[in-house]
Amino acid sequence: MACVADSAAEAHIDRALVTRVLLGDDRSAFEQLLRRHQGMVRAQLRRLLHGDAAAADDLAQETFLLAWRKLDQFRGDARFSTWLYRIAYTCFLQVCRKTAMLAGDADEGEAENVPAPAHAMDLQLDLERAMRRLSAAEQAVLLHCVQMELSHEETAYVLAMPLGTVKTHAMRGKAKLKTSLAAWHEAAGKEKAS
Amino acid sequence: MNEEQSDAIELLLRRQFDGPVPDEDFSRQVMQRLPQRRRRVTWPLWSGILMGAVACWLALLSSPLLRAGWQDWVNDHWSASAVTVLLVMLGMAMLALVWGVAEAEDR
Repeated sequence: MACVADSAAEAHIDRALVTRVLLGDDRSAFEQLLRRHQGMVRAQLRRLLHGDAAAADDLAQETFLLAWRKLDQFRGDARFSTWLYRIAYTCFLQVCRKTAMLAGDADEGEAENVPAPAHAMDLQLDLERAMRRLSAAEQAVLLHCVQMELSHEETAYVLAMPLGTVKTHAMRGKAKLKTSLAAWHEAAGKEKAS
Repeated sequence: MNEEQSDAIELLLRRQFDGPVPDEDFSRQVMQRLPQRRRRVTWPLWSGILMGAVACWLALLSSPLLRAGWQDWVNDHWSASAVTVLLVMLGMAMLALVWGVAEAEDR
């Protein structure tokens, strides 16, 4: 309950800052918005770009410059942060189209042959590899829905996807991860039994 | 996939996410690159509205229907032309009201 109230208060502050920028051409208000949201936007882009921090920061800069230019198009029907994530994701897609990065699915078959994990220490690495085996859409949905803790509706808004598709991708993605990490689950079960 | 397994996967994914990135001068760099905001120019809209209103008035000024309707209305005589003028004014007021409500809903 307190979390929902916090979220509503944050959204209210954002809207007030946006109004200050639009009415008074207030650069310091935009700087506050920037400081409040840069961390999550950069984290989102780093995940989407598989940890490429430099490229993610370049895209994040582009995202905020676009947000500055198009701020009068923010109508408050979504949270300001969600609106920013949508711009960031659109910038990311444009880069993907340019560099044909999404064609990375080509090494999918190779990834399927990754041997089962042997040590619990490697769990995070295996999860990372399992994530890369998912389709780009499934990865994006799990990033926004689970890791960034957006609602299904917000994820649908950010990714410009129908709500049903988001839910399907989330379910399929988790099911695929479960299959990929089945060896860990069995190992954990055996440990519990012994 | 049962709920417990789904929760376990979600927990793993959340742990894997590093969370917000520290600023490390990023905001200052973006602020330096920020261009001046372009103010939206409103005079073409207002001059268009004014010119349209004047053109409309000039076109209607010579219309016998409007003149007759106006005179009948002023003399409290509910002729067909007076009712037409009244209906046109009512229709325009309704359109303005609907437009105003639609704009307010968008904000």
